[in-house]
Amino acid sequence: MTQHKRSHHKLKRAVAPYLYLSPSLLIIGLLMLLPMVTVIGYSFQNSAVLRRDPSFAGLKHYQAIFNDPVFWASLWHTLYFTCMSVIFHMTIGMVFALMLNSDRINPTLRNILRVLYILPWLFTAVIIAVIWRLLLEPNGVVNSILMQIGIIGSKVEWFSSPATALHAVTFANIWAGYPLFMVSLLAGLQGIPKDFYEAADIDGAKAYQKLIFITIPQLMPIIISISLLDFIWTMQVFPLIWITTGGGPIYSTEVLSTYTYKLAFSSYNLSQASASAVVILLISLGLTLFYIRYQKAR
Amino acid sequence: MAEVVLENICKTYGNNFHAIDQLNLSVKDGEFLILVGPSGCGKSTALRMIAGLEDVTSGSLRIGGIDVVDMPPKDRDIAMVFQSYALYPHMTVFENIGFSMRLAGKPKAERKKRVDEIAKTLQLTSLLDSKPANLSGGQRQRVAMGRAMVREPAAFLMDEPLSNLDAKLRVQMRAEITSLQKQLGVTTIYVTHDQTEAMTMGDRVAVLKGGVLQQVDTPKRLYESPVNAFVAGFIGSPSMNLFEAALTGDELMSGALAIRLQDAAFVRRPGLRSYAGRKVVFGIRPEDLYDSSLESGRKYQTIPAKVTSIEELGSEQIVHLNIDAVRVDSGDPDAVQDFGLASNAVAKFEPVSTVRSGSEIRLALDDTKLHFFDPETHLAI
Repeated sequence: MTQHKRSHHKLKRAVAPYLYLSPSLLIIGLLMLLPMVTVIGYSFQNSAVLRRDPSFAGLKHYQAIFNDPVFWASLWHTLYFTCMSVIFHMTIGMVFALMLNSDRINPTLRNILRVLYILPWLFTAVIIAVIWRLLLEPNGVVNSILMQIGIIGSKVEWFSSPATALHAVTFANIWAGYPLFMVSLLAGLQGIPKDFYEAADIDGAKAYQKLIFITIPQLMPIIISISLLDFIWTMQVFPLIWITTGGGPIYSTEVLSTYTYKLAFSSYNLSQASASAVVILLISLGLTLFYIRYQKAR
Repeated sequence: MAEVVLENICKTYGNNFHAIDQLNLSVKDGEFLILVGPSGCGKSTALRMIAGLEDVTSGSLRIGGIDVVDMPPKDRDIAMVFQSYALYPHMTVFENIGFSMRLAGKPKAERKKRVDEIAKTLQLTSLLDSKPANLSGGQRQRVAMGRAMVREPAAFLMDEPLSNLDAKLRVQMRAEITSLQKQLGVTTIYVTHDQTEAMTMGDRVAVLKGGVLQQVDTPKRLYESPVNAFVAGFIGSPSMNLFEAALTGDELMSGALAIRLQDAAFVRRPGLRSYAGRKVVFGIRPEDLYDSSLESGRKYQTIPAKVTSIEELGSEQIVHLNIDAVRVDSGDPDAVQDFGLASNAVAKFEPVSTVRSGSEIRLALDDTKLHFFDPETHLAI
């Protein structure tokens, strides 16, 4: 092979991987990076989108949202909604996964439960929102059952009362999201060698000791990965809250996504909405970097 | 330390499959007993029943004089070494060895003292902070041993603990486990499918086939006096050659083959006379066949044989032969019929033998080492 041919071959080998990647890079660039950069640009402009020649606003819009008590309430609600969702997704997912993995339960019953438990995952956010709106209506099934068994004395307006609305939407989101944890943890449980438990049986481990010393450490990589992903996804939940409460009553279920949406499409303050979107982006980015670092460390 | 006694132990699964049938076995205090047999013979099931990891369908099982059939594994005072070692990957060597003490709520200082002692015995002191993933196969095996030793159990149960190691390490670990067992003097039941492990490690060996105990004896007695053709074929490597022949007077006849039997053969086995004029299964081990052209083979009678192939091992030659006799299957499901139908016998020749593949030779055999079995029942005569 001549020197020229050899260097040509080397160049082809070096370029080839990028050529394979280029279609996906192009799509990601057009559909994700470009809008992201545009939104960041809007957040520094006055009357973005609405005017042809918007002027530079500096950090004005960021100042405005940081001075807005509704923004801070939304941030707090988002954190509460997300943390509670992730904690309960994991707890319920773990309990159900352990149940489905147990050979003490009849295999037929186990298969039926497996389908039942996974059902919430099959519904879209809109259907889940509608189901829970119907169930939690003042005259709905939940109130009537709770009153019959004597837990509540009068009808509760779950989604309409500021005291209960945030808990109610969080509850609906927990119900909708645990199957991801359940399925992932079940797959993890099935991968734990049976020998570990048999060795622990011989060593005299009780059921809770096996859970603490074997099951949870073995599932830890899955627990951390799925929790981080769930945190990132739950922070951005919009349709469930929008359809059930619309962020109300009196901002009691306002989260960053509904706050941003309202700024953009109710107040038509697209610049401030962009600033709020950038704040969400930065929080998500921080969590994503943490997730990537964790994955790399593994 | 304790005696382990199995009486009429049976294990039947839901589909009416009898994994173990009427197993009677008594393992003396401090004894090293090997459970050996081909795949699916029930040896691991038997061990798991002793450990309490499988229910006993019927029969009695005593460890140290106490009936343990209905006891959970933790109360049986046994320790088990698993084939996979079952080391917890998220724990260090120290934590793995000390796990049972931690479960028992023993103080850290006591745990450290005991684990350090064991680590010293097993030469694991420098590895106490390592995780199992960073250990070699042999080191993991030793950690598994350490985890079993830490509890000072009445009996050790080992389920094919060397099967994941390479051949060289297996030989080394074989010796290590044997000497450790002697040093500790703990009753040990060891499951293997490898007859070499069985012969070299145990005080006694119990041979199982299809869930039924065939013979339990010292390695030497198993080798010299197998109770049936299965044990004869299973013990020894390469396997004993088994053929069918007619006993005519004092000669074994098969095609062009005639082997003259000495009076001593009939004296040792009075039952053999009753097979006169009938068919009989005879067996001879590869090491009792000789190259007649060498000094070692000159004193024995010879039979014609054709060499089909030779495996040079340096210290000896494994010679595959074809002789004019019908080969008998010992009933070992794991046995491989060498080279299809081309050969029906195997001999171990000295390295100086000059036989060549394809040549017709006179094969010398030591007729005092012949074994005889009933052609129907395959029981030793």
